[in-house]
Amino acid sequence: MPTTTEPEWSTESARSPGHGRTSGRRGRRRAGRVHPALYLFPLPALAIYVVFFAMPTLQAVQYSGTNWDGFSADYDNVGLGNFERILTGDDLFMNALTNNLKFMLVVVVFQTIFALGLAIFLVKNTTASTLLRGLFFFPTVLSSVSVAYTWKFIYDPNFGLANRVLEFVGLEQFTSSYLGNDTAAIYWVAITQIWFHAGQMMVIFIAGLQSVPAELYEVAEIDGAGKWKQFTAITWPMIAPATAIVVAYTTIQSFKAFDLILGLSGNPPRYSMDILSTRIYTGFANSEFGYAAAESLIFMAFIAAVVLAQRRILKFTQKDV
Amino acid sequence: MRFNLTRGVVLTIYAVIILVPLAVVFFGSFKTTPELFDSPFGLPSSISFDNYDTVLNEQNLSQAFLNSVLVTCSSVALTLFIGSLAAYATARIPGWPGWLIFGFLVLGMTVPAQANMIPQYALFNQLGLLDSRIGLVIINVVVGLPVAVFILGGFMKTLPREAYEASSLDGAGPLRTYWSIVLPMSKPSLAATAIFLFVIQWNDLLYPLLFISSDSKKTIPLALLDFQGQFLTDYPLLFTGVVIASLPMAITYVLLQRYFVAGITAGAVKG
Amino acid sequence: MNQKSHGTMYTRRRILQMFAASGLVAVPAACAGPGSGGGGDQGGGGGEALPTDGPVEGEISFAHWRAEDQAVLEKMFARFSEEYPDASVSQDISPSNDYQSNALQRIRSGNVGDLFVAFRGAQFVDMVDAGLYADLSGTDVVERYDPALIDVGQSDGTQYGLPYQLVFNQPVSNLDILESVGVTEPPPDWDSFLAMCEDVVAAGLVPMAWPGGEIGNAGHLFNCMVMNNAPSDDMCAKIESGEYACTDDWFLTTLAQYAELRPYFQPNATGTAVEPAQQLFAQGDAALLVTGSFHITAVRELGAQFPVGMAPPVTVSADERKYVGIRNATFILGVNTASDNQAGALELLRFLSETEAASTYANGTVQHLTVADVTYDNEDLAATSDWLSKETLLAPRFQFTDLDIRNAAEQACIDVVGGDSPEQAAEKAQGIIDQRIGS
Repeated sequence: MPTTTEPEWSTESARSPGHGRTSGRRGRRRAGRVHPALYLFPLPALAIYVVFFAMPTLQAVQYSGTNWDGFSADYDNVGLGNFERILTGDDLFMNALTNNLKFMLVVVVFQTIFALGLAIFLVKNTTASTLLRGLFFFPTVLSSVSVAYTWKFIYDPNFGLANRVLEFVGLEQFTSSYLGNDTAAIYWVAITQIWFHAGQMMVIFIAGLQSVPAELYEVAEIDGAGKWKQFTAITWPMIAPATAIVVAYTTIQSFKAFDLILGLSGNPPRYSMDILSTRIYTGFANSEFGYAAAESLIFMAFIAAVVLAQRRILKFTQKDV
Repeated sequence: MRFNLTRGVVLTIYAVIILVPLAVVFFGSFKTTPELFDSPFGLPSSISFDNYDTVLNEQNLSQAFLNSVLVTCSSVALTLFIGSLAAYATARIPGWPGWLIFGFLVLGMTVPAQANMIPQYALFNQLGLLDSRIGLVIINVVVGLPVAVFILGGFMKTLPREAYEASSLDGAGPLRTYWSIVLPMSKPSLAATAIFLFVIQWNDLLYPLLFISSDSKKTIPLALLDFQGQFLTDYPLLFTGVVIASLPMAITYVLLQRYFVAGITAGAVKG
Repeated sequence: MNQKSHGTMYTRRRILQMFAASGLVAVPAACAGPGSGGGGDQGGGGGEALPTDGPVEGEISFAHWRAEDQAVLEKMFARFSEEYPDASVSQDISPSNDYQSNALQRIRSGNVGDLFVAFRGAQFVDMVDAGLYADLSGTDVVERYDPALIDVGQSDGTQYGLPYQLVFNQPVSNLDILESVGVTEPPPDWDSFLAMCEDVVAAGLVPMAWPGGEIGNAGHLFNCMVMNNAPSDDMCAKIESGEYACTDDWFLTTLAQYAELRPYFQPNATGTAVEPAQQLFAQGDAALLVTGSFHITAVRELGAQFPVGMAPPVTVSADERKYVGIRNATFILGVNTASDNQAGALELLRFLSETEAASTYANGTVQHLTVADVTYDNEDLAATSDWLSKETLLAPRFQFTDLDIRNAAEQACIDVVGGDSPEQAAEKAQGIIDQRIGS
């Protein structure tokens, strides 16, 4: 099952823009001879991962074909029954999926833009940059629970900051019940998520930007290229690996924004804020281990598919110039 | 000029957006609950360290702090070490085996924790690793590994191949090359990964809650939970706990920032 | 397919350790089934008899979710240790959300919770099914409880657990405000309840502070709204079994009454979490806090000085009224079948059930209890003790054993307050319930 994901990761990243015209695949083949000892390097990681992660996961896979409740000694095999029910007869799952897609789309697009913008503004190692980087990164170090509590405070319709500010500047007509508004709630959660994690992604972009050779910009400067031209011609293609990491990681994070949702909406979450990971959680809490395990598998497949699709899109815009 | 103006405006606005909620937490930690609700966004009427006193004198908080430092530092170091070994190998091993290992390890990020919780609990129980800090380190490494391999692998593939090819021509084995060429050149991405791992592992609540039962082995997030009740939440105390728990992270971040400077020189090798 | 037998566990563990040492664990680990991790007898109903007079010694772990009771319990347990110098008690506290999802697995392993608790409803049912509760029938400890209040701890006639707390899931009232609008007794019928709300609005205050943003806390109101409307007392169980539906007349009537209450909640009620609702009430801006008696402590901590009472909405006329309020018995104590210190756990249960300890707990945590002969010194407890003898219904929402069905029914009520028509909300809820029942 994992094999479906790899080719994309590697070909893209191997095509390091720094290598001029050498394409990833050809380069690899030329470097085909590596020291045999290199194959021992992943062993510690694989050993611990297989025992403590892959095997439990395989068990979950096994249970996805059963109606196990999570504690009884007995259960029945239901074959693909769980999957059939999820895909054809579960409005709650589909509701969570829809919410999750909206949430992901908003977070991935805006958080990535913010993170990249901040990284570009703060890439130089001046004192001011260092301080601001520290500030922007700070929300990330808070636990999800505390972030959720803080924002619940901001969104509260009666005591909260958001409505108070609107009233203060005379925009009473825009005050709202925020998380209580079923069509908008998931977007308010997305704003919190971006506040929470944009700084974290900024760090990756800074690491990416700092490995772009300064000479490239100097040459472009001499050629009279403006800032925007420099960005499209040098920065964007050169930070392809960082972008790939940020987009994929943000996607996965937005599928797993479980603590934040439970913190903001209470447990169980309202339908308007239910996403896949909270739906799966409710399944486990509801003693439907087998069914929730099946939901988890679909969840994994879905993330993999979304991440692969994103790779296609990014690759298209970040071709070597 | 226009760039600098835009830069200033954008950074200022963003700084305000970040600061305001943080200020609520920070000032909130000096308030009483009624005061917090009365003026959540105002300055505290007086600087009282009562909340800090309560939190810090909470039994076992210093022990919990020590546990958190021990567990997080060992987990991060171990994850970085075995993760970077694996990432390096996946970046270098040609053809499908490299992709396979990479994909297999990275796929772990997509698995919801709840799906694994029951089987993992049973496994740790059988191995006698419940209620043990070593057990926590193991589970932290397992959870952090996919993230580490993902970020490090992505960056290591972009390292100029000339560097390690030259090294192996000099007769250095892969371990030497890894240690003296790859790791130093990967400082920015190692720092970024370390920060990610610190954040994930320092704040992890799910596994400590599941695995740990003795007070003497609790970590900070677990100890802070004592402030939350089912029907009653003391926000000021909670905020105080948040401030105390997040300070070490902030310090770690400042310390690791230094390595971003190294990034510029590493990048220059390519040029 | 059946669970693997436990006979091979020891060898498997040895093999695992050997393989783990050599880093090649893949295959054997696959055999470590989740079920085989637990101690105790699974599937069975707590078969063996309890050792009623074993030595009381060693550490006794008490697993529960009441972090706010920790200090009071600690003091009580210190007294227990004085009585039994060889024994000590440790509390294993998880927040209620996590307790709901993890407790069963952790307690079953025997690592924690020699004495443990369960929520009334799905959790208690599951824990009994998993064989966690030792049979307490016939032990002397049962006799210390009010027999009328402990049947929620029974399953098929066997007393597995003893519910400890007795709470009232009905609106808490600010008696000063109610008095100022001329209300001195809980409104006896729907019209007088609405009239009371109208008068509070006229006085410039909010009649009801309701946490409509959190389905778990918002749902307490559901109990009162259906207690007199439903044709039977097991209405929620019947919704779950498919016998009743949200599209039935009685449910639609209930939803229509939620719609009638719309002007009496605080503004944007569907976006309000529980803490701001408590604050609104505590600072004297709202006449009712629409959750339950268990929030009185929180309101006091927020600085409320006024006297409190309770005023549940009765949704019918006085002569159609069956119940005047809602009670719930929860925090169902039990001795763990997987524990290796059952004698200690049982003695601790005995200790908690004694009048003296129970009174300390009740007054220290401001909760009524199911233990007989408890003295309620606490002012708020004393002031609300008259509810102990009133005609109350055991909170029906906990009859639901399926969380999704419960949420669907309760979400429909929130949706109506948010502006949906009763019919529309009922359709939506019943659609989800039908899917759940069909599965």
